[in-house]
Amino acid sequence: MAAIDHYINTIIDQGGHEAQQDGSTSVEAHHLLLAIAAERETGTYQVLTSVGLDHQAIRDALDKEFEHSLGAAGVSLATFALPRPSSAAERPTQMGASAKLALERGFASVSRKKDLRPAHLLLGIVRAQLGTVPRALALAGVDQADLMVRILDTLPDNDE
Amino acid sequence: MPAAEILVSQEPADRLAAVAALRRLADQLEDDAVEQAMRAGWSWPQVAEALGVTRQAVHKKHAKRLIAAGVTLRRR
Repeated sequence: MAAIDHYINTIIDQGGHEAQQDGSTSVEAHHLLLAIAAERETGTYQVLTSVGLDHQAIRDALDKEFEHSLGAAGVSLATFALPRPSSAAERPTQMGASAKLALERGFASVSRKKDLRPAHLLLGIVRAQLGTVPRALALAGVDQADLMVRILDTLPDNDE
Repeated sequence: MPAAEILVSQEPADRLAAVAALRRLADQLEDDAVEQAMRAGWSWPQVAEALGVTRQAVHKKHAKRLIAAGVTLRRR
């Protein structure tokens, strides 16, 4: 198995773990982002931390996005005093719509599969203009365009 | 809080994100409320009727999680 296949499997598997922790029945793009941030050996991890996004910072940003989005409908999370959701009984393996889009975007960044790098996967997630990830990044004060440039800079020819 | 102080956004992106967040909140509330009811000895048909869904649906959605959480379940 090629190194990139191994990496993709690891991220999807870890994404499933993140989704399970979240009590989610499917793996979404933000779970893949958390999974990438949990893989400390890769350059993608270093790019994320260079803008202050380690695993905990992403988790905090996602919590903030949840509260903020509820607020847009006039709902305060504090009213409910909910415990942290209990983990799903089984690790979800089904990809949600946002994760499918993120993976498609990542794979579409290269014309030949052998050129695919972990950075392309991250790019596919970060490139989203709508949804949980860009909203959480904005609330964390991360400049999405700057982050994309940093990711592209890690690629050999920077040719996407 | 008086209604006038609640700032409800009119931006489409905010309103759509609110829908997604409310669905997630509803799921969390359901998980918590079903677990509490089952721990209190409610039956599947009672929980299903209270939620307005079939007992098969509620059982399929929650049984494995509650068993994993160590909740003693009544017969269906």
